[in-house]
Amino acid sequence: MDALHGLPTHEKLKQAFRLEAGTVQRYLYFARIADIEGFPDVAQTFRNLAESGICNAQGNLDFLKRVGDPDTDLPIGETDLNLTAAISATILEQTESYPLMAKVAKEEGLLDIANWFETMTRTKKVHEQKLKKALAQLAAVRQEEPK
Amino acid sequence: MSTASTPPAAREETEETPSPARPRTDRYDASSITVLSGLEAVRQNPGMYIGSTDLAGLHHLVYELVDNAIDESQAGYCQRISVTLWADGSCAVEDDGRGIPVDLHPLEGRPACEVVLTKLHAGGKFKRQSYQYTAGLHGVGLSCLNALSEWLVLEVWRDGFHYRQPYAAGQVAGELAKIGPSDRRGTRITFRPDPRIFGAGLALSAPTLVSRLRELSFLNPGLHIRLLDQGSGEEREFQYDSGIAGFLRHLNQDAKVLHPQPLALRLAQPGVDIEVVMQWTAGYGENILSYVNSINTVHGGTHLSGLKNALTRTVNRYASEIGILKAENGEHISTFDILEGLTAVLSVRMETPSFEGQTKTRVTNPELKTMIDEGVSGALLAALRADSRLAAQVVARALDASRARLAARRASERIRIQSVDTRVSKEVYQRQFGIRSQNWHQSAVWIANHALLAEHVQHLPSGHYPRMLDVCCGSGVVGASFKGRVGTTFGLDLTPEMIALARTRLDHLSQGTVYQLPFRDNTFDLVVNREVLHLLPNPERPVDEIFRVLKPGGLFIVGQILPFGPEDAAWMYRVFKKKQPLIFNMFQEDDFRELLLGAGLVDLTMSEYRLWESIDVWIDTHETTNLHRHEIRELFYQAPQEVREVHPFEILPTGEIRDLWRWCVFSARKP
Repeated sequence: MDALHGLPTHEKLKQAFRLEAGTVQRYLYFARIADIEGFPDVAQTFRNLAESGICNAQGNLDFLKRVGDPDTDLPIGETDLNLTAAISATILEQTESYPLMAKVAKEEGLLDIANWFETMTRTKKVHEQKLKKALAQLAAVRQEEPK
Repeated sequence: MSTASTPPAAREETEETPSPARPRTDRYDASSITVLSGLEAVRQNPGMYIGSTDLAGLHHLVYELVDNAIDESQAGYCQRISVTLWADGSCAVEDDGRGIPVDLHPLEGRPACEVVLTKLHAGGKFKRQSYQYTAGLHGVGLSCLNALSEWLVLEVWRDGFHYRQPYAAGQVAGELAKIGPSDRRGTRITFRPDPRIFGAGLALSAPTLVSRLRELSFLNPGLHIRLLDQGSGEEREFQYDSGIAGFLRHLNQDAKVLHPQPLALRLAQPGVDIEVVMQWTAGYGENILSYVNSINTVHGGTHLSGLKNALTRTVNRYASEIGILKAENGEHISTFDILEGLTAVLSVRMETPSFEGQTKTRVTNPELKTMIDEGVSGALLAALRADSRLAAQVVARALDASRARLAARRASERIRIQSVDTRVSKEVYQRQFGIRSQNWHQSAVWIANHALLAEHVQHLPSGHYPRMLDVCCGSGVVGASFKGRVGTTFGLDLTPEMIALARTRLDHLSQGTVYQLPFRDNTFDLVVNREVLHLLPNPERPVDEIFRVLKPGGLFIVGQILPFGPEDAAWMYRVFKKKQPLIFNMFQEDDFRELLLGAGLVDLTMSEYRLWESIDVWIDTHETTNLHRHEIRELFYQAPQEVREVHPFEILPTGEIRDLWRWCVFSARKP
């Protein structure tokens, strides 16, 4: 196991990854609004910075790859590992994360948001199936390869 | 439609001998290989050149030819353009311009027209002396169109002769032939889009072409454009001398306008000529069309930003000048509020436009922004100062929009607080739907669609139904469609405005809430409802209420728009929530079944009805803010592949979005 595993820096890398990934999405969202409001230069700035954000987020994954997927801690790197980790993440999201979020929203009376989280749960089920199919196809291809 | 056809050797001029379309094998040298590889790239990756291979891309082929003719017209050589749609899916575009040159090209040693049709980046628009303002694709156009055509026939009338040359899949299929003497002048290109590229099911549509051709004739006053659809025999002619002012009148013909005289401005600098016309309406949508050299810049660009900037700056400046707005206190009318209800046409003609992308939907020249911003600001401020009545109307309109937007935001905040104890704020719903009732039947196609209403009625088995309730009846159309099959019709709605609308259709109306129906247990033989439950928090409670008022054996028939599957549910959630902030549930099919069965209903059946709805109409209401309207369009433009795979919608070349709605009609019985 890589020496990074379990160190505070490991946690910080996960945190940095989430920060950058979140930045990318926020900037792309803001860029769209800037475009609509008629400020294409601002939109372009947001898009350019989002592009850098993608590069930065993946820079964190370059390190995290040594110790595992930031969401599931499962090993990542090669495609079959990545698929397996992605499948686990969708299962986690549909059985724990989103149901819990929906429950909290419901308790607070925010029923539209609860329904949004429930919709996400369903989406993740579909994604799980699609990823599993991709993994099966990959396994089939691997079997055909001459050893 | 068959997937193969042959070029019309002689469609009109029957005296001509058809030239056999066979692949040319006698010339095969290094230069032909270059031609092949260039055009093969177009065939392999057509989207790069024409945007897409869907309906929009298909029509783009025609626009490409028409735009070339427009260029001839702008250069002063063409007065008439004719577009013919043939029954085999081919199309002919003809102009009376100078005719594409047929003499030998000095470098290529082939007729110039053949070079233009077979080589990428060949054409007359790279040297400024032939055309001052151009719309066509600078040389990629004709050869690209040729490459994407199963066959193409070029005809040129020039220098006293009629010439013809056939092509197949972008390659020369016969030498340029001198057909005979003629005193005509012009070019006609007949082509059939290659079904191997566009799919056999796609066909050119006359109505789609009509809107673009009409637009072009407004943008080019005096030019005569004819469209002949050989399939239907229908012929349309367009010729307007009124320019974009007439175009604006056409766009606003059904609108309630705020000021009778549109604002019209013209700005000219060497090499750039800009015209703007604007008129505010009582509608909610903004309809700003922008053009550069007659190209519809659907995705805007610097010219549009300049216009929006100018409007925002000037209206704010004027409003604080006359003391309506306290700019020093940070009061500001937003761009959204100023653009609400605005119809405008912005037409730019310039020598050196730069565009993003091959299909030119966004212009990027920075100087346009400054020129339009400054020019429009100055002229608009002067116009507002000169006409205080107009100025007051424009400013009041924007302030109204601003207040309405704040009220809508407060409404959605309020509903959030109210929903903590899961009680709906009647007041909020009453405000939302009360205002909406004004143009209720125009606010969406589905509301009064007969086939959809019939879909509900067909769930009713023959029998005796003395009392029917249309719950949350709106204008009462659903309940009314059951007339003749049921006895007395009752309607219930929350708002007095809707009740007034329904009064003409239903026998008895009550005002009340579906959470607490003002009826005794076991009252009705049939309860009907459509597209309401998704708006209600805790929808189980209204369904329980409906169950309560049904007689044992009574039927509940309910219609609801549902996503096609979990794949498009989240995307639809976002679209619907932006359209209507009061949405609480994006039901999926099994959720909805569970909702009905959970109340104790039995014998559940469901039927589906697919209905095309234009998003533009549907989102043009007060409950959708201007930002949300734009965001909804963006959600369609940028829809994820996963959504596109299950949820059909189409984006017309005009930018209009048509969505296919999956209506599910359920019926279930109280045991």
